[in-house]
Amino acid sequence: MIETWYVIVSFMLIAYVALDGRNFGVGLLHRMVARTPEERRQVIAAIGPLWSWHEVWLVGFGGTLLVVFPRLMTSAFAGYYLALFLILWSLILRGISIEVGGHIMDRLWQSFWDFVFVFSNILLAGLFGVAAGNLIRGVPLDANGNFSLAFFTDFRVRGMVGLLDWYTVSVAVFTLLMLAAHGATYLTLKTGGPVHARSAALAKLLWAGVAPLFLVVSVESWVVRPDLFVHIMHDPICWLGLLLLVVSIVMLISGFSSMRESRAFFASNLLLGSIIATGAASMFPVMLQSTLQPENSLTAYSVAASRSTLLIASVWWPMGLGLAISYSVFISRLYTRKVSVEGENQGLS
Amino acid sequence: MSSNIFDPAFWSRLQFGFTITYHYLFPQLTMGLAWFLVYWKWRGLRTGDELYNKAVRFWAKIFGLNFAVGVVTGIPMEFQFGTNWAGFSRYAAGVIGQTLGMEGMFAFFLESAFIGALIWGEKRLGPRYHFLAAVAVAVGSWLSGFFILVTNAFMQHPVGYRVEAGGALGIASLSGYLLNPWALVEFAHNQMAALVTGSFAVAAVGAFYSLRKLHRTQAQLYLRAGTFVALVASVLVAFPTGDQQAKMVGKHQPVTLAAMEGRFQGRSSAGVALVGQPNVAARRLDNPIEVPGALSFLAYGHFGCYVRGLEEFPQNTWPDNIELLYYSFHLMITLGTLFIVLMAYANFQDWRGRLESCSWLLWVLMLAFPFPYIANTLGWMTAELGRQPWLIYGIFHTHDGYSNVVSSGNVIFTLIGFVGLYFVLGVLFLYLVGREIGHGPDKVVTIQNRSGQISTKQTLEDQEALVAEL
Repeated sequence: MIETWYVIVSFMLIAYVALDGRNFGVGLLHRMVARTPEERRQVIAAIGPLWSWHEVWLVGFGGTLLVVFPRLMTSAFAGYYLALFLILWSLILRGISIEVGGHIMDRLWQSFWDFVFVFSNILLAGLFGVAAGNLIRGVPLDANGNFSLAFFTDFRVRGMVGLLDWYTVSVAVFTLLMLAAHGATYLTLKTGGPVHARSAALAKLLWAGVAPLFLVVSVESWVVRPDLFVHIMHDPICWLGLLLLVVSIVMLISGFSSMRESRAFFASNLLLGSIIATGAASMFPVMLQSTLQPENSLTAYSVAASRSTLLIASVWWPMGLGLAISYSVFISRLYTRKVSVEGENQGLS
Repeated sequence: MSSNIFDPAFWSRLQFGFTITYHYLFPQLTMGLAWFLVYWKWRGLRTGDELYNKAVRFWAKIFGLNFAVGVVTGIPMEFQFGTNWAGFSRYAAGVIGQTLGMEGMFAFFLESAFIGALIWGEKRLGPRYHFLAAVAVAVGSWLSGFFILVTNAFMQHPVGYRVEAGGALGIASLSGYLLNPWALVEFAHNQMAALVTGSFAVAAVGAFYSLRKLHRTQAQLYLRAGTFVALVASVLVAFPTGDQQAKMVGKHQPVTLAAMEGRFQGRSSAGVALVGQPNVAARRLDNPIEVPGALSFLAYGHFGCYVRGLEEFPQNTWPDNIELLYYSFHLMITLGTLFIVLMAYANFQDWRGRLESCSWLLWVLMLAFPFPYIANTLGWMTAELGRQPWLIYGIFHTHDGYSNVVSSGNVIFTLIGFVGLYFVLGVLFLYLVGREIGHGPDKVVTIQNRSGQISTKQTLEDQEALVAEL
């Protein structure tokens, strides 16, 4: 039961990262792929009607976490207090910049909101990257399962660590690059004209850059958490994750070389998903590692809600997911067109 | 509660109170407005009259802005359960987590999947499916309200729970929890109040265009629909929903009822104070002017019933801010009564065919739209201040609920951050909504008089109306 919920929560996280990750990536590349004000509008229109749909997956993730692993949520959210509020504020700025930028056709107004859009997305992608690094490295959990974290301490990865250290920063850099590549792949699929050409060129370049960085981060992760790699070698589920990773890389390459944009974008989502899935499987059952004492770590079993709570959630949660999938089908049929630089079609087919 | 500035519980309360109050300014309009969109969309579908589609297009823009601010200010609410209220979440997540999770999975997903289709999809979807998109958004917004109110109702009147092995709460009966009588009454009361906000806004825009002599047919539509719904909803807020809510408080939170009325000593045939300020130090209501027997009647259905006073309860169970609770409750009642009077008169004038020619009434309708926001806020203040000192009434103290690893300084910092950010957000929102209202539902053309000066801005329709009048 707890294992299933661990998979579900990981799935929600993957769904959020794959869906909202494209918006972060688009934000990171906004200035690079769009050179004229019209092109900048075009890029925003490519994500415009759906940003709130993507963002609510974070709410879905948070709500699921609260009911299924309450101790994890309370411990981590209180511990990451300031960092989490930075994320919340960036999310506010990001949503608003998308929403209000198009309301007034004025260059100064739009330049300002485009700047806010880029700035908040860089911050978000970076912070989520740091969060991923923290999850792997662990936090200074005490015997009560609590911690509070400085922004940085001595930049080392053991003992009283901070939010930032050499490892989490490099994971953040990797995340920024990968989400940028994800966003570029999305724009290749969703846009036409010069933005399309630039996105396609950038996507190839970025994915080429992601590959070596992935190896670097993997080696670093091995230094920080050697136990995870031992786990990966012995766990068939992790092998499955790695297999998916290889499949997605092959699909990505074939998608770009034959310019099958939807295949490339599917592969991009799969790639993100398989990396997170493999990571999540390798960590199980630990959900939050303690850098002070391994026995302080929070495991899925120690933070899970009671059996009856999980049972009740098992009744309604699949129904909710079923509905969400049906909305996804509706959305994917509705927004099939490329967003053109002239049109205000918002990608509606 | 010790309100000393080093108490993180106090600051976490203030932060939650501020962010939820601000957040709720937006959903109350979307929940109210959503059914106007559904209704107009339906009328458009049935009659084929462009009038209704034009109204939907115009209000969908305002709806979209509202929705966006509602989404971005809503996410911090869910996260604060973990960041600031870790103690509460650890204790009660087995119960409240269910509905907070359901809200995400059933309500938010529905609403946000279709909002884009509602705002941009009219051409692509065709009238039938566009109507369904409006229904989906409306249902999603009300479902969201329902799950949140079930969560709140549990905090007001916990039912359907049990204490589990580790000492934390779990669900004993899911249907008991979801169909908490308190939740049903609170939901009905709150949704009617949201309709009041929505309909007052619709009527206010109609009044504004009427006074401006702009967009005449649209103005008429907004005025008539707005004032009619506003009257019905204002009445329903008071009776039966508000009345039932008061009886519920009288039955399950008698100490709260006493505090709401500033009643320190119990008595039979207790009155409702029209004027008076609670004086907690002296334990009396200063300069009271009361309607005798009214409180007994409202709370227990009979003029002679005995209403208990605060002094009959241990002082540590009193709500911790009696003055604020008293003012919130009384001002809410006053405003609610005025809403009924105003809208009854407006409907009477409409019946006589004089609504659009009565200029002072149009002025009042135009300027009245902020007051439902105030009344809604006061209602929530009454509910939440009245719940104190409990976080879950009778079983869990507010002071046990906050995150004890977070220092008060950090909470003050993030609270100030929210105040600043939300101020900017508010200015931006008002500016953009004002702009949309300025643009209006019709294309505006400028007409020039003979000497070439631009005299007025009017729509083609308005010009025709003027010509007809001449």
